[in-house]
Amino acid sequence: MRIKFNAKFISAIVVGVILAFVINKNWGGATFLSAKNLSTFLVVGIALGGIYAITAGGLVVTYATTGIFNFAHAAIGCFLAFVYWQLSVKYHIPVLIAMAITLLVIAPAIGFLLDKVLMRRLRDASLVVQLMATVGLMLTFMGITLTVWSPKTARTLDHFYEQSKGVQIGSVIATWHRIITVVIALLVAVVLRWLLYRTRLGISMRAVVDSRSLAGLTGAKPSIISGSSWALGCMTAGLAGILIAPETGLVVENLALIIIVAAAAAAIAQLKSIPMAFVGGLIIGLSTSFSSTFLKFGTDWSYAGDAIPCIILFIALLFLPQARLETGKVRLTKRTERLTKPWEAGLGGFSMVLIVGLWANGWIPWFSGTNWGERSAVWLGRGAGFLVFGLIMLSLIPLIGWAGQVSFANYAIAGIGAVLFTHFGGQNGNPIGIVFVMLVCAPLGLAIALPALRLKGLYLALATMAFAEFTDKVIVRHPNMLNPSNSGVLYKPLHLFGVTISTDTADRKAFVMFLIITFALLFFMLEMLRRSRWARRWIAMSDSPAASATIGVNLTTSKMTVFMLSGAMAGFAGCMLGLQNGALRVDSFPMFAGLPIVLLLAVQGVRYPVAAFMGALGLASFPAITELLGNPSWLTQLALIGPGIAAIAMAYRPEGAVFYSGRDLAGILPWRKDAREEKALFIAKERAENIEKDEINDMGLSRAFTEDKVAQLDRVLSITDAVDETKMVNTGGQS
Amino acid sequence: MTTILETQDVVVRFGVLQAVSKASIKVETGQVTGLIGPNGAGKTTCFNVITGLQEATSGKVMFDGKDITNKSPFKRARMGISRTFQKLEVFGSLSARENILVAAEQRRAWDKSGFDPTAVCDEILESTGLTSVSEFMVGTLPTGTARLVELARALASNPKVLLLDEPSSGLNEEETEGMARLLRRLVAQGLAVLLVEHDMSFVMGTCEYIHVLDFGSIIATGTPLEIQANPHVQAAYLGTETVEEAS
Repeated sequence: MRIKFNAKFISAIVVGVILAFVINKNWGGATFLSAKNLSTFLVVGIALGGIYAITAGGLVVTYATTGIFNFAHAAIGCFLAFVYWQLSVKYHIPVLIAMAITLLVIAPAIGFLLDKVLMRRLRDASLVVQLMATVGLMLTFMGITLTVWSPKTARTLDHFYEQSKGVQIGSVIATWHRIITVVIALLVAVVLRWLLYRTRLGISMRAVVDSRSLAGLTGAKPSIISGSSWALGCMTAGLAGILIAPETGLVVENLALIIIVAAAAAAIAQLKSIPMAFVGGLIIGLSTSFSSTFLKFGTDWSYAGDAIPCIILFIALLFLPQARLETGKVRLTKRTERLTKPWEAGLGGFSMVLIVGLWANGWIPWFSGTNWGERSAVWLGRGAGFLVFGLIMLSLIPLIGWAGQVSFANYAIAGIGAVLFTHFGGQNGNPIGIVFVMLVCAPLGLAIALPALRLKGLYLALATMAFAEFTDKVIVRHPNMLNPSNSGVLYKPLHLFGVTISTDTADRKAFVMFLIITFALLFFMLEMLRRSRWARRWIAMSDSPAASATIGVNLTTSKMTVFMLSGAMAGFAGCMLGLQNGALRVDSFPMFAGLPIVLLLAVQGVRYPVAAFMGALGLASFPAITELLGNPSWLTQLALIGPGIAAIAMAYRPEGAVFYSGRDLAGILPWRKDAREEKALFIAKERAENIEKDEINDMGLSRAFTEDKVAQLDRVLSITDAVDETKMVNTGGQS
Repeated sequence: MTTILETQDVVVRFGVLQAVSKASIKVETGQVTGLIGPNGAGKTTCFNVITGLQEATSGKVMFDGKDITNKSPFKRARMGISRTFQKLEVFGSLSARENILVAAEQRRAWDKSGFDPTAVCDEILESTGLTSVSEFMVGTLPTGTARLVELARALASNPKVLLLDEPSSGLNEEETEGMARLLRRLVAQGLAVLLVEHDMSFVMGTCEYIHVLDFGSIIATGTPLEIQANPHVQAAYLGTETVEEAS
């Protein structure tokens, strides 16, 4: 106990000193104790904190009652804010009625629908599937919103009582909007607390998390309970969206990013305490307001204020109690697969090179812009891009697929790698720079994960997402990293093994070939790694942390190695990303851009290295489809919605496409007699099960048993010598 | 015979609930020690305290003469404590062979005798009779076989003490007998075994010494015969019928 206290005590001091330093360094010169500044700080902070509290409270309610962390929470709120805009501004429906329609009709409808279609299936899914599906949901909602309400038109939502003056507090005017916000936040807090602790529905909702079947005994229908949770979650998300839109502007990215704020507040609440979620929201609101009132970040750190929620999330993670090693949570999948043999992996890699080689030379028919034997420069450029994303996907396979550590940060690491490469040799075409970048990115990958290593997997996902946001807002925007005025060529062509690698039109084909060959080599390396003791240990750690510890695995160092490997691979991908971009801008690495990469990999099957290739093809399919359909205006967001919906579908097919197609197609390979036999067995088994199921269904078990039905049941269940003398006839239909 | 593992007055409290109160258990080398008691008596919690998965509120765990109360689970494993779990904790996406291999390879982190993990793995597969299913993913194996994989994995770390949490659950009669034979062979080689079990005939037939746990406290210790004769035990747990059946 004492050691733990000390560790926390030390981190508290370190965090305190760093904060004091940052505040001192960036003090804007305003007097803290002036009534005006102080009241501005409080009025703005509390109002903002109130909104954050509402959204965080809703997020915690759904997590606490369903066990699913909803990454789409803020995106749903964003969608509802746009719906509200449509009703109140576009259709001129009075504010209160528009709000009632949005929050009391549409929001619960979305909640119940989500519960029925998606969330109920996610309850027993693995963490990877839960995360992918809800992140997919986030992208889908963002994509739908962007499609319906094109971002090319600017929209604004008025504050409540925009024209009236508000109330004078100190020397500051608290607008009615802010006062209303605070009142609503307080009301929501009280109502949520009352609902969960004082009503029958709420108590059932809380019971559901612990045991779905037990909760059924309280008399409430589990489906109604979980549906109500999601309805409640959507309502709070929508309320927060409507309240905050006048402050941030009705912009999809801004509103969806509130998920980071909500996640930080939820982490403070340890994902379970609603009052603490409200406190967390207030802390973030006040910190943001403090920074905007008193601090003046120099031009070097101009966006630092936006990163406050990320930093608070990181700090919160430092102080969370260590996760216990849980037992009894092992899920056994009936997978029949075997290790890939070296020559099979080699053949696979060779096939990839062959396919992409044929494509790059125009020998595979493609959608547009090419004649036979010639591939357009546009598509070659895109091809290089997809392959770079494929490299990032490869870096995720040991991390997510084997070690079970879900990270959304690898695109950001690649971005940092790309930026570092401009310093380490990219500008004079020195390939040694790539090695340097990898050496830096390996410990970087580890450093990001460090605060979350001792916590449960969900926190790692939150931390890495926050890091991706932090990278976009702070790291790459520092002039020492990327000079914002420098928009010219940052990378000189790289000469490697006699190949010129650059984004110049003439070099693109060579670049694509270089990328696919490195891709195939890395693919082969991963397949070999899967056969090694390293991968075995990572998979063991992911399958059962408790059992791994009891055979002597040091979970911490084991996780550290996989993060370093993944970071180094992402760093390499980053160098290629830079070369492929040619020149970088400070806004080249938004957090949302990295998510489709992770999702499409997961959809293909995050355990299998070949999934990275399929995932890259998947990325390529979206612009191809759009082009094929003639670039219609309703399909502009396919790059978001496509991966989003594919990831949502994981709730139905959790193992990934490679798993299912492998099971079905491996038999085609002439040497896989085992797979043919296995498939025949599988089909026979499935058919037998279906016949039995149908027969039982046909009997209509809701009715009372008749004698011949019992006989039929005995036959189906192959009970030949039924000795039970009790007649199961006419029990009055009690089933 | 020497005491290899000992808990001294271990207390575990979850909030107001006292799951284990002042439990002292001794495990000797070269014999099977039983830990029995009704459901919820705190048996698995005791296992978790011994292996470090659960922090004890107070009390000590001694292993091989050293206090290991504050050691992390993997360090205890490296000292020579191995276990299986009540609910299967196999590595479901690895093959049976890999399950054992991963433990054998891990052993190289502390056992510098220069053994070959692959050879150890093959030997254990052979001795537990798992060779024929070694290439199957554990997730596809029947529960009884998966339990055996778990035991084989525990053996691959070459432990001094083996903790088995209901090894016979999910096994048929024949498999249970095989398990008992295996345990007797292991203790004959000098291993110490601590066994949590509900199958009374299995416990009475295999254990040399038994601790009975009820509501978190040890209510009786002794040989199987003493335990069967103990009126407290009969009252608290066994019931006359079960005793007759066992004897």
